[in-house]
Amino acid sequence: MFLAIKEIWYEKLRYSLVMALIFLVSYLLIILTGLSSGLANLNKSAVNEWGAKTIVLDKDSEGRLAQSFLSNQTIKSTNGTALSQYSSIVKSKKGLKENSTIIAVPKNSFVYNNLIVLNGKNFTSNGTALVSDIFKKNGFKIGDTLYLNNSTVKLRIVGFTPHATLSATPVVYTSFTTIRPLNRGTINAILTVKSKIRQPKNAMVLSVEQFINKLPGYSAQKTTFNFMIGFLYIIIFIVISIFLYILTIQKLPNYGVLKAQGIPTKFLTLNTVSQSLIISIIGVLAAILLGFATTILIPSEVPIVINAFNIVSTSIGVILMSLFGSIIPIYQIAKVDPYKVIGG
Amino acid sequence: MSNLVFSSVNKIFGSGSSRYVALKNIDFEANSGELILVVGPSGSGKTTFLTIAGGLQTPTSGNVKLNNKTITKLNKREQTQLRLHKIGFVLQSYNLVPFLSVKEQFDLVDKVKKNNASAQELDQLLEDLDIVSLKEKYPNQLSGGQKQRVAIARALYTDPEYILADEPTAALDTERSSEVMRLLKELAHKRNKVIIVVTHDMRLKNNADKIYQIIDGKMSLISENL
Ligand SMILES: Nc1ncnc2c1ncn2[C@@H]1O[C@H](COP(=O)(O)OP(=O)(O)OP(=O)(O)O)[C@@H](O)[C@H]1O
Ligand SMILES: [Mg+2]
Repeated sequence: MFLAIKEIWYEKLRYSLVMALIFLVSYLLIILTGLSSGLANLNKSAVNEWGAKTIVLDKDSEGRLAQSFLSNQTIKSTNGTALSQYSSIVKSKKGLKENSTIIAVPKNSFVYNNLIVLNGKNFTSNGTALVSDIFKKNGFKIGDTLYLNNSTVKLRIVGFTPHATLSATPVVYTSFTTIRPLNRGTINAILTVKSKIRQPKNAMVLSVEQFINKLPGYSAQKTTFNFMIGFLYIIIFIVISIFLYILTIQKLPNYGVLKAQGIPTKFLTLNTVSQSLIISIIGVLAAILLGFATTILIPSEVPIVINAFNIVSTSIGVILMSLFGSIIPIYQIAKVDPYKVIGG
Repeated sequence: MSNLVFSSVNKIFGSGSSRYVALKNIDFEANSGELILVVGPSGSGKTTFLTIAGGLQTPTSGNVKLNNKTITKLNKREQTQLRLHKIGFVLQSYNLVPFLSVKEQFDLVDKVKKNNASAQELDQLLEDLDIVSLKEKYPNQLSGGQKQRVAIARALYTDPEYILADEPTAALDTERSSEVMRLLKELAHKRNKVIIVVTHDMRLKNNADKIYQIIDGKMSLISENL
């Protein structure tokens, strides 16, 4: 630690430049990780709120809720909560518009009971709806009537619920009867709380995780983000490696002499490890602070989630990469033969 | 009593056509209280001799004993510990850590070894070497001679039994180098150190107790001041 701090202090410019680089890359990591979780949430958060373990869909549906039309036979032979969905643009009298997914579930089913009510109450009578709090952010109020495109069906908002988005659209929860004119009573899925159920004829059984992964675009998006994030980690590893490698090469004769003077190798390698830790910790801390500032400053439509998990995983990732980055320099120090470098 | 003994030491570099015998059958002994000068032309094997004495290299054959212990049989860690506790090295270059001030060069030693010179003793040492005013300076702010004197102070700081110095006066003027030699001689005589100074600076010969010469890897005693 002594050598590490003295050297950083002496070579302020060099070290600040690497720290700045690590800071910028870590910031990018935090933003990308945050966006990745944010977009993933937009796609799936409603599904998580339902509290189901398995989902039964039509066997030809490819796992897509909208493409799944369950037969009466399947519905009768499966124990669980039926669910219907219908996508539509909803409007208010004042001209507010929202592209949304309407979901119908039975009252007092486990799904119904799992819905959190932020304001107002859950839907009860036909024609009432519990809607995503995104409606509230966008200016809708309890008591507002929602009009559906190309239909006479009307819904009255009676409450708001959080985490209610599916495939990046806010969800409107209502009764089957309310949307019967729209979907003619189609049941798209049956949800159960059992982790394993017998597969009904002409149906497919998916775990909730499998169902989420099959949401349109979900996996592709995740993979893209993971690829970029992985790349950034590799960049951090390479940057730290090269930086410490060059600095170590320059100091090799000094390390040789220090070894000749009896300074243990461990003391010298710890110096390099501490430096790489100092660089990465300062870089990542600054990035986290800027990340928080960013979420406060950017418009709320940008779905960046900076939560404890993202912060901890990014920090651990960056610090691990920087530790890996000090492996080559450590090896150089360990193998330098004092006699070779002192020469003369 | 400290003593360093070489018996029939050979050092051969390379093999086949690039085979080079750097040290030939060297017998040598140094005891507490002696300031020994090793002289010889460039490339004759002086540094090779000194690094073998300090356990930085192992001889191809023969035996080196320090305080009656064969140092060639020690493992790397034991050798490092031996150098830290018993030997003060002054090498030909790179003696100082570039990013540490003169004062911090000594702090660094304190991090790995206890019982070094006290603050007062250090000040006295720096005073004797005429570098006390340079404490806050960094190596790149020092002249070659100043660096060399800091390196000497650094080697003496741990109060080692053995001081092995490679051309410690190369960058010093006549006055300064005899000053350094006077200090080393005092350490040898009053504090009972073994001091071996490698040099091709014949100006130093008046200060030595014994002078050895190495020519083409062969060592011989050429003078002894009794
Ligand atoms: N690692 C090595 N491999 C091959 N030959 C070497 C090696 N180290 C030293 N030598 C050879 O051994 C001889 C003695 O080298 P040494 O460094 O001991 O000389 P020196 O007396 O210290 O010279 P100088 O006064 O120039 O410092 C030289 O001829 C040198 O070329
Ligand atoms: Mg030499």
